[in-house]
Amino acid sequence: MKRILEFIIWLCVAFAGAGALGAIALHRGEPLNATWFVVAAVCCYMVAYRLYSAFIAARLLALDDTRATPAEIHDDGRDFVPTNKWVLFGHHFAAIAGPGPLIGPTLAAQFGYLPGTLWLIAGAALAGCVQDFIILFCSIRRGGKTLGQMAREEVSARGGFIAQLAVLAIMAILLAVVALVVVNALKASPWATFTLAMTIPIALLIGVYLRYLRPGRVLEGSLLGVALVMFAVVAGQWVAESPSWSRAFTFSGVALAFLIIAYGFAAAVVPVWLLLAPRDYLSAFIKTGAIFSLAAGILLVRPQIMMPPLTRFIDGTGPVFAGKIFPFCFITIACGAISGFHSLISSGTTPKMILRESHARFIGYGAMLLESFVGVMAMVAACAMPPGVYFAINSPSSIVGSTADAAAATISGWGYHLDPQTMTQLARSVGEQTLLNRAGGAPSLAVGMAQIFSNTIGGERLLSIWYHFAIMFEALFILTVLDAGTRVGRFMVQELGGRVWKPLARMGWMPGILISSAIIVGTWGYFLYQGVVDPLGGINSLWPLFGIANQLLATVALVVATSILLKMKRVRWIWVTLVPTAWLVAVTMTASYQKIFAANPDLGFLSKANSLASQIAAGQVPLEKIAETHRLIFNQRLDAVVTATLALMILVLLVEAAAQWYGILSRRREGVLHEAPRVATQWAPGFSGTAHGDD
Amino acid sequence: MRRAGKFAERKLRQFWRGVREWCGDAAYERYLRAKGRSDCDQRALTAEEFYVEQVNRRYSRPNRCC
Repeated sequence: MKRILEFIIWLCVAFAGAGALGAIALHRGEPLNATWFVVAAVCCYMVAYRLYSAFIAARLLALDDTRATPAEIHDDGRDFVPTNKWVLFGHHFAAIAGPGPLIGPTLAAQFGYLPGTLWLIAGAALAGCVQDFIILFCSIRRGGKTLGQMAREEVSARGGFIAQLAVLAIMAILLAVVALVVVNALKASPWATFTLAMTIPIALLIGVYLRYLRPGRVLEGSLLGVALVMFAVVAGQWVAESPSWSRAFTFSGVALAFLIIAYGFAAAVVPVWLLLAPRDYLSAFIKTGAIFSLAAGILLVRPQIMMPPLTRFIDGTGPVFAGKIFPFCFITIACGAISGFHSLISSGTTPKMILRESHARFIGYGAMLLESFVGVMAMVAACAMPPGVYFAINSPSSIVGSTADAAAATISGWGYHLDPQTMTQLARSVGEQTLLNRAGGAPSLAVGMAQIFSNTIGGERLLSIWYHFAIMFEALFILTVLDAGTRVGRFMVQELGGRVWKPLARMGWMPGILISSAIIVGTWGYFLYQGVVDPLGGINSLWPLFGIANQLLATVALVVATSILLKMKRVRWIWVTLVPTAWLVAVTMTASYQKIFAANPDLGFLSKANSLASQIAAGQVPLEKIAETHRLIFNQRLDAVVTATLALMILVLLVEAAAQWYGILSRRREGVLHEAPRVATQWAPGFSGTAHGDD
Repeated sequence: MRRAGKFAERKLRQFWRGVREWCGDAAYERYLRAKGRSDCDQRALTAEEFYVEQVNRRYSRPNRCC
């Protein structure tokens, strides 16, 4: 009886999900309510978790709770800490949820709400969650080894090296693109710049508090910091209203880029307890709070979706970024659907803290479903504003013009009505001089979030506070990613550089620290500067490059997972990882090819370089702009070389892996697994790991 | 009624403990407990030493995603 009831309930959930998805896909005419998105996403996630993840756990991985996990075997209270599954879920989610699932869907909204929403739901359930779950499982069975170590052992030594290089490349491009998002959100905005600048002394204060005054009291230190940051958001308004203070905090894009580069360098070399750690604590609290508030806001306000399901830009002529739905929707939305970067978290920290193998399903698969839901919320927030406003905020000035009148004329000409006064009014109501040409996703998401929040609490009066709270929330955790990424990048440069010049690998050697920090900051700083001076806004070329790098890393992770599953003799179910791998290879290779060779100069790096070169040859470039144009040509060619190198690395890995798979399947080669020996658990079946001895 | 109160109190305690563990507030207590269980006779780190060592270790590997 219980089974029948359960079956009926799940059938209802499945029908509700299918019905809501059908409504989203087929609805035309009147604006759709955001509730449909929430129902579709939640029901699909529930069904995917109940059925697909259970199938993977039971059939493919055969999770074994009688086997001790690395946390039990090595329990040292430092890295290997047996952790309650809910707490670890929170840890894992806080680690994987970065700016990507917020910005990617916001940018992909230029195609309309439909392609992005479908990819967020389907991509997460069938690819992203699968990757996170299986890599987590593989790492647990190998004592918590990293993706690079597993690639070296289970695929080939070259595979490990490629994974390491891919991580470094994605890190540099990621840091550049997220820094660019911050620059575009802060330029000519004294309020936002002041608020973000204040987070630095606040973090330093909390750093000193947690080190000297109350060592390790993270909760009270963070709450104090959060209160100060909230005060800084409010104080930003006074700064913006004061002519002299406002001037002091008004910066151009280039000036902000140099400030962020200098900050990144400083953050990488100063002690981690002073700036990076306290900023990360602040960011984790504010990020979690803002995400849950956004979910609550959407449920309470239930905004109408103003964006059409598909826009005219599915033909590849989009102003935010060029390229058709295939492959660019799947490149732009990386983190909300599948992100290679997650495999670094799934194979680094989390496997050393997991209590039971069966928890990998909830933590690996479940946390990624929640991240996908964050992506769906970002899509709702972006699509809840009129399309004209969305395009005015996200389009570069070279396409729509830099005045409200010009932008309104261009965007209305595309069929998305926009009144010039609307943009002026909106900018004034959020406390900004202008919202035009702020490509990068952060400001449009902030407008969407502010409208949802102000409809819940405060109304129009608090719109500007909510807008700057949203900008601060995005910029704060982007800068945290920047700090943490630069530091990790520094260690990678030291490790790789140490192979060539031994002293560089010495961790405490100050010249080595300075040189390696300068290399990593110089690399992302160069791409950042290139993005800031790019007439198309930089996001147009950098975000797809980041998406390609991220999805290529996901390909590495899925290739490693496929190799391990083949060695485990799970040939019958190998499609679970092989199908997403094939999809990612198709997407990334097509995108790489188009970004390098497409004849359209807005899309292809080489054709853009050639078109600029022919403009110089034809004498169409003014004399004073020739040096700048030469630099743009160089940058386009550099982007082409970076894209080609990434694609080539993955092709080499694929060929190596395919040769290995063929060898195993044809039994010409022994598939040797490098799992840690099985140790039986000593813990009682009900042990929850809440705390030893005090529960 | 008293049972419901006890139940709520237990759940609140669990939640509070979960929050402290999630944010790292309880990390030193965990370390001392693990240290007490191990056979190693090295002196335990002080709260300050442990905090600095822990954040140095945590931020030397990818721990925040895009």
